[in-house]
Amino acid sequence: MRKFWIAVAAALVIAAMIGLASCSSKRREGVVVYVSEDQVFSEPILRDFERDTGIRVKPVFDTEEAKSTGVMNRLLAEKNNPQADVYWANEPIRAEVLKQENVAAVYQSPSAEGIPANFKDPQKYWTGFSARARVLLVNNSVANKPKSISAYGDPAFNGKTVIANPLFGTTTTEIAALFIVWGDEKAKTFLTEMKRNNVKTATSNGESADFVAAGDSAFSLVDSDDAANRIKQGKAVEMIYPDQGDNEVGCFIVPNAVVLIKSGPHPEAGKKLIDYLLSAETERKLAASDAAQIPLHQGVETPAIVRKIEKIKTMQSDYAAVARKMREIEPLLKQWVGL
Amino acid sequence: MFARSLTVNGAFSLENYQHLLATGRSWQLLTNSLGLALTTAVICTIVGLPLGLLFAKTDLPLRRVFVLLFALPLVIPPYITAVSWAEMLAPHGLASGFFGEATARKLSGLLFGLPGCVLVLTTTFVPAVMLATMTFVRTINPRLEEAARLSARPLRVLSGITIPLIWPGVLLATTLVFLLALGEFGVPTFLRYSVFAVESFTQFTVSYNFGAATAAAVPLALLTFVILGIEWFVLRDKIQPLRPAGDDDAYLVPLRSYRVSLFVLVSILCALLVITPLMSLLLQAGSMQSYVRALHVVIDSLIRSLFIAAVGATALTVLGFFIGYLVHTRALPIWRAADAGTVLLFALPGTVIGMGLIAFWNHAATNLIYATPLIIVFGYLAQYTALTGRVTVGSLSLVPASMEEAAASAGANWMRRLGLIVLPLIRNALVVGWLIAYIFCLRDTGITMLVYPPGYDTLPVRIFTLMANGAPPLIAATCVLMIAATVLPLLGIAALMRTQRRRSWR
Repeated sequence: MRKFWIAVAAALVIAAMIGLASCSSKRREGVVVYVSEDQVFSEPILRDFERDTGIRVKPVFDTEEAKSTGVMNRLLAEKNNPQADVYWANEPIRAEVLKQENVAAVYQSPSAEGIPANFKDPQKYWTGFSARARVLLVNNSVANKPKSISAYGDPAFNGKTVIANPLFGTTTTEIAALFIVWGDEKAKTFLTEMKRNNVKTATSNGESADFVAAGDSAFSLVDSDDAANRIKQGKAVEMIYPDQGDNEVGCFIVPNAVVLIKSGPHPEAGKKLIDYLLSAETERKLAASDAAQIPLHQGVETPAIVRKIEKIKTMQSDYAAVARKMREIEPLLKQWVGL
Repeated sequence: MFARSLTVNGAFSLENYQHLLATGRSWQLLTNSLGLALTTAVICTIVGLPLGLLFAKTDLPLRRVFVLLFALPLVIPPYITAVSWAEMLAPHGLASGFFGEATARKLSGLLFGLPGCVLVLTTTFVPAVMLATMTFVRTINPRLEEAARLSARPLRVLSGITIPLIWPGVLLATTLVFLLALGEFGVPTFLRYSVFAVESFTQFTVSYNFGAATAAAVPLALLTFVILGIEWFVLRDKIQPLRPAGDDDAYLVPLRSYRVSLFVLVSILCALLVITPLMSLLLQAGSMQSYVRALHVVIDSLIRSLFIAAVGATALTVLGFFIGYLVHTRALPIWRAADAGTVLLFALPGTVIGMGLIAFWNHAATNLIYATPLIIVFGYLAQYTALTGRVTVGSLSLVPASMEEAAASAGANWMRRLGLIVLPLIRNALVVGWLIAYIFCLRDTGITMLVYPPGYDTLPVRIFTLMANGAPPLIAATCVLMIAATVLPLLGIAALMRTQRRRSWR
């Protein structure tokens, strides 16, 4: 009897293993997309794509814990045997890294027509769409509201400001962009003044937005979706697009970016997904969702909380140069953070 | 991965290690990592050992309910516990309502740092020591305690007989807690406390530098070896008189006049460590509608998680048994390498193992493994075999070698000896090992989030991905569903075991 049960248990384990392994037969179908954009915003779009095209989407989503770099690291690690067809990055820097590491393939989507050239890779390895703006989220209790990111160095805000850890995410990207636009000296001075002014460091943009919403800090530089989210929650805050004056640098824009993966298993389905993501209709949906993202196609209908791209003075950014600068200033930022 | 840490631009170099040692920060990280792991392990033992004894050896009221409640945090990813505490101490949280915003703010300040990390990890790992204590208490030959009771008071029996007999098992649990706290990166990251596991993770995310990340994880491995070396030295040749595990005839010490006061004390501790963060989650989840919506969103991931965790736990129990048997009997010269290998993998952060798995298995020839959920099971085997292996070693150390030797002298071959002597004697330990493995597989995120095949995410991974801008009630409801999904099968197994035991008595 004992032998019988051992045999049954062994058969069950083997059957389970075969069951797990048989999942590979489904590998030939559908399209595989690695996604750094938040799952709550990206998944409905991918479901719509499935519904509209009949192509099954198999996604791998990034986590907040991995600071949205987990799937990019995975793409780099899988370079010799790619499992993904498409990478949906939540900022173009990761797309640039993939291009530089020879993981991306060239693809010019017909849907990219109408997207301004500065949001597209000139060599067509990636294309930007639906952007976030880097805005100041200011608590309503602040009398003289800041209009520029230079306010971080203003003694009037000594000890009252917060910023997300500049080693991660869009904060790193913006600081690298400032090094290019302002030059190294002015950018270093900005960082020094910010430090001298006792800025608080938060783990993420979301957390720094929460500090402002709770009244713990006067203002923070955050992504526009974080700001819109707090406004929708009814918090006593205001969103300000910084540096909109004639002689100012403008607001830094962070578009999503989509990349076709080199030698991915389903290139044709991958291209169809890219076309879908870059369409004006997808941009409309992302603007209307809680992501509150800014469409890059002109004339796309947006809710009141989302300012149209043509009405924002944007910082002129070469994202490839920004990606290179990020690596260059990494030791400086580590030192700034205290690592 | 280790080879990569020894190369820079394709050539052999110790640059990653030189850089690690060149800065004073490494020593700070070492102090922080050791401090966090040691404090957590000591507090868990101080709290978990008495709790285990109270629940297993006394007539404390509602002790089975307490066991269930105290064990709950073990099945929740520690990161979620940290989030619950942060939520509770936030300006709009539970603590603010009870103690006022100023006090909540002060408590929140304490949470972000070493005290908070210790609190969260202690909450999570106290059950490990408590359950280990209860398990090992039940393997004590009752005749030893009965003999002692003839001339000694219950407390004296406890300190003179029971605790000395179970201390190898408790030490094993303490060591496991130390290692788990040492390798934990989610909680220190969230609560902003710099330790080596966070440093290793940062090297991945900021620099994409696999070599430097592995180099940053090496001190963790070295520390692990030192601790296990000490544990081996202390535990070697500790063979206890044993009875076949499974009987439930243990004598319960009557608490008499202490019954009420101890009940109140345990209730307060339970409310503080378990109920409060759980309440925070339940309040955040709100209405039934949140649960319905959460179930709709995560049902696929939930079913996958249960299935993969069950397969993983079974595979871990089998592999852990053979590794544990090898380490205990030292039958082959590779026993030391097998032991060290599993422990090294256990001590490494999940992210490092995940990258290693990708590097090793991601080839066209091995897509059958890499492109299927089997890679997740392989990840579990890589990281958690040390758990089931150590449970096996711990239980085998209680089996007198003479039993197997006698069977061998009588002509029984190895398989017969395993089937008729060793396995029945450590059956309960194997079940405990399976349950521990199941819990760790079910809540794993470090490896799974790096290697899960497209479209095959597990529930904890889905919770993490939902955490980025997901609605807090949905996330809280999903966490509650995960707790239920973990606890209900465990309760089912416990009930099944109980029924079987009763049948065997009859």
